[in-house]
Amino acid sequence: MKKSLALLALILPVSAQAAAQTSDLVRFVSCPVYRDTDSGRKSGCWLADDRESGARYDVSLSPYKPDWNHATLVEGRVAAAPPTACGSTVLDPVRTSVLEAPCPRHMLPAEGYAGRKFVLPPRNITPNAVPRKVVAGPFAARTFAVFFEFDRSFLVYQYGDYLLEQAANWLEAAKPKRIVVTGYAATRPETVSGQVLAEHPDIAAERAETIAESLRRLLPEATIETATALDAEVTDLPDADGIPGQSQRRVEIRAEF
Amino acid sequence: MTHPFTLAARAVALVATAAIAMAAHKPEPRWWSPGEGRVFPAVLDYRNDAGTYRILLTGGPMPTKGHPFFEPVGSNGRACVTCHQPADGMSLSAASAAKRWDETGGKDPLFAATDGSNCPTLPQDRRESHSLLIERGLFRIQRSWPASEWNGRKITPDFTIEVVRDPNGCNSAPGYGPKAGNISVYRRPRPVSNFKYLLAVGFNFDPKQGMVLPRDPDGNGLQSGNLMADNRAANLRLQMEDASGAHLQILRHLSKAQITRITDFEMRLYSAQAESRQAGALDSAGAEGGPAKLRDSQPGALGSMGKPVWSEFAAWENIPPAEAARLTPEQLAFRKSVARGARVFRDRTFLISDSSGINAPIGFGNPVRNSCVFCHNMSQMGNDVAPGQVDLGTTTLPYADPWPDLPLFRITCLKRPHPFYGRVIYTYDPGFALTTGRCADVGKITLQSMRGLAARAPYFSNGLAKDLRGVVDYYDRRYDIGYTEQDKQDLVNLMSVL
Repeated sequence: MKKSLALLALILPVSAQAAAQTSDLVRFVSCPVYRDTDSGRKSGCWLADDRESGARYDVSLSPYKPDWNHATLVEGRVAAAPPTACGSTVLDPVRTSVLEAPCPRHMLPAEGYAGRKFVLPPRNITPNAVPRKVVAGPFAARTFAVFFEFDRSFLVYQYGDYLLEQAANWLEAAKPKRIVVTGYAATRPETVSGQVLAEHPDIAAERAETIAESLRRLLPEATIETATALDAEVTDLPDADGIPGQSQRRVEIRAEF
Repeated sequence: MTHPFTLAARAVALVATAAIAMAAHKPEPRWWSPGEGRVFPAVLDYRNDAGTYRILLTGGPMPTKGHPFFEPVGSNGRACVTCHQPADGMSLSAASAAKRWDETGGKDPLFAATDGSNCPTLPQDRRESHSLLIERGLFRIQRSWPASEWNGRKITPDFTIEVVRDPNGCNSAPGYGPKAGNISVYRRPRPVSNFKYLLAVGFNFDPKQGMVLPRDPDGNGLQSGNLMADNRAANLRLQMEDASGAHLQILRHLSKAQITRITDFEMRLYSAQAESRQAGALDSAGAEGGPAKLRDSQPGALGSMGKPVWSEFAAWENIPPAEAARLTPEQLAFRKSVARGARVFRDRTFLISDSSGINAPIGFGNPVRNSCVFCHNMSQMGNDVAPGQVDLGTTTLPYADPWPDLPLFRITCLKRPHPFYGRVIYTYDPGFALTTGRCADVGKITLQSMRGLAARAPYFSNGLAKDLRGVVDYYDRRYDIGYTEQDKQDLVNLMSVL
């Protein structure tokens, strides 16, 4: 019971009234603001306002970034990092999903902020010219996960592709009898910033097909089946980085021997 | 006393020797006509306005007699070389097309009605019926619609396409246009050279499509996705079959042996500008311009991880005084300008916005700050290591310039709207969408090699930029970059030596 309450506390976003503390989860929808900082390539800042609390957050560290023409679903945890790079409270880890709703474009000048000099994220794929480490056995049933943006089935650059390649390298060495690819969708409606959000049920199959087709291309000899699951539950899979919504939007790749 | 016959014989011999000597020194024509039977040399130089363009053929000279790249294997008298002229960067400049019209009165097979005229329905003896080729170097490309995959499987598009205007008739005359199951667009021929790079697969993923790269249907691993403007050919074989049918009007398929010979020739070609009219040899004083570097380097490397793009000219950033003293002031200034241009190309960042394939659906954000090398990222070549299908707006309104002589299509997206254009799009050329059938791909055109640019104006897939300055000006307008005059000239000078 005590453990369940603790998990619940981690899953629930911080209330509108409470001031966000480090590692608090925030989840809201708003129009993104681009701050035109310039420390070289990809150094611009993305900001987003939680209208209910009045807080402005630096959401730049998301692996998939906002589009200034559309609303963004922000999910992240308050970081201890000072707001020196972009001028707002940093969320890290953080995810920013582009929603359909249109937004007016808004760009702030740098106003003295430098942004962040681009560094390769830890989840990046190495060029093909670099030899891969040989994956050693013994091999047994195992499940890998790949994560997606809200209501999208697009493999995320330097996140999803990395996770898929890790899985494919292992599967290539392990040669399982079959691979089952299950696409999940978070179809249960939730109210976020006064909006009801739910993923389309079709997205589960689209996600499964994105991963299955990618695996067919990487592992043409493999036997691959697909499945779907709606009403995806929150999981504690590590590559979701402790963001409950992210953990729901996934594909699982199960190797069976 | 010498016998009169001997004298006469000597005279004949002398004349013959002189004739052979003259023939040996007589420059061969710039224009390669099909079936000439010349020998393609190991090193072939052609002058152009910016200097000298050089082609290296590895493995030594090659007789072209009987070679399917050089022989008229189709029914219209053309060969591959007709539209991939060595002097024109293995492409074809609009200036050469115009010259050829003037020299032959339009009788050259280059002007074949099928695609060397604005439309076969027009009177073929009139220059204006070939204006798109003569003025902008454009060939008519007729795609079947809806498109089919390489294996013949039909694609179900998620958009409709209507013809808004059709100045040439090839999208509305009987047998032509979407209602007849085809769409005609007009495009520049791509250079046949440096294929080691264009076929390289640097990573297994296509980040713009959010998938692993498709497999080569002939079993040669994953596809590079960098061969054609709309990425319709998965490999060189399919490209050759497409081209021999559409452009050579071949009555039967190319044979396996012919495809093998063409592939062998094409894979041996490396080319680049080798000498600059203003800077001199491009591989001098520490610079590494010219085609030899291309021949000797590994393909498919990201400039951001290895050798920075256009760092071939880094040595010209700081030319030692002793070396500088050997140069004319003009040479010195031009070399420094080229080196600055390379820096501007790599380091001058600007906000890139509303460009499909860059700002969406890939997660870079819209806008994103980056420089030219964001997309032109392959070392030595400046094409994209990933498949290079991006929409710069060069073929689509409101970004493309007005071209009343091109057809205009109205695309209506049936499912999700296009991420930036919305549900209804007006375009001269849907580009990659003609291959995928996806509204999100409208306007995407595959980035191409930046080598040999000086030999093959005009630029962009539809010849939108008549010269290199036009290329820079387009980007400056499209992304509100704010280049200075010096930046622009430096970029032009850089591109003139690639």
